[in-house]
Amino acid sequence: MDERDLINRVRAGDGVAERALYDTHVDRVYRLAYRLAGDDGLAQEFTQETFIRAFERLDTFRGDSALSTWLHAITTSVVLNGLRKVKRFRQREADLDDAHGVGLARREAEPDLKIRLRRAIDALPEGYRTVFVMHDVEGYTHEEIGVALGVETGTSKAQLSRARAKLREALADFAGEWVS
Amino acid sequence: MMHDDDKFTDWLRDAAQTYHSPRPTPREEMWARIAAERQRRAARVIELRPWLRWTLAAAALVVLGIGIGRWTAHPETTDSAGGSDVVYQVAATQYLSRTEAFLTDFRADLRAGRTDARLAGQARDLLATTRLMLDSPAADDPHRRALLEDLELVLVQISQLESGRSARDADLITQGMDQRNVLPKLRSAIPSGPVPVRTEGVL
Repeated sequence: MDERDLINRVRAGDGVAERALYDTHVDRVYRLAYRLAGDDGLAQEFTQETFIRAFERLDTFRGDSALSTWLHAITTSVVLNGLRKVKRFRQREADLDDAHGVGLARREAEPDLKIRLRRAIDALPEGYRTVFVMHDVEGYTHEEIGVALGVETGTSKAQLSRARAKLREALADFAGEWVS
Repeated sequence: MMHDDDKFTDWLRDAAQTYHSPRPTPREEMWARIAAERQRRAARVIELRPWLRWTLAAAALVVLGIGIGRWTAHPETTDSAGGSDVVYQVAATQYLSRTEAFLTDFRADLRAGRTDARLAGQARDLLATTRLMLDSPAADDPHRRALLEDLELVLVQISQLESGRSARDADLITQGMDQRNVLPKLRSAIPSGPVPVRTEGVL
């Protein structure tokens, strides 16, 4: 069954087709949600909301782009909006922790690359981080990222370049690993 | 010979695979929740819940009465847009009252060391209504919108408590509620007095 047939069947209320559409796309949607959220509960919540919205709004899908691209646009919107809410909510807790002197103490040198890399990626501005995760971690093309985030392809490329530059600076201690 | 930037890019891509590395997709669990949530939302559209149905019916009657009164007193003026606003205001007041009662119960249950699936179920129920509210004119007011967004987040967190979360997670939810003054804001958003008076307050 091609994509157009599948969409038409879902629009007609075919439950089997709905499940087929879900099965085709759920892995990439969940992976992207997880990569951006870093929390399984949130990733599941965002994935569920993405598919609920997609089924509700499938009538508005015009077919100008691939269904996967349209779906990933919904995913990024759901995830980024959700994360902004979570961040706003957690900021207060972090402020209180800092005020009580129990915040995370920054170490001068963190020997574990994995931890240092995670912190460096987390510290990127939202736009840089999103493009970096989508392109370098999950393998999306700049065209797909442009459609998903509603930005020009050139903007996506520029943000990726800046993200890499910031990460290179933040991970300078590990330069030996890529220079050798 | 490979350029230094290219070497870094290759190394970075490889190393970044460890960033928030996802576990296998929980397909069936999510599909079951998607199906349940869609069913719930569809049921809401087709048939409103009894409390909301009665609220809207009562509000519509009041609006109709006011409309007839105004029309007979001042035939040259009409206020149909204001009428639909009132319906949303009444529904919002009822919803906020329910949410206040739920969150108060939730805190009391936590203090007593009780966390059960019932709480998560009620939170999901209220979460669906919260999202309907966010999409309605009831969320046009920026203060109420901010409150609804706070409530949405709290309810999402509570709704996930049943899936093996610890008491520490529940404590973090209440700490978050306290720090953002969710309950005081919620209470101040509800007009004072018993429910019938509260609904009068918005008219």
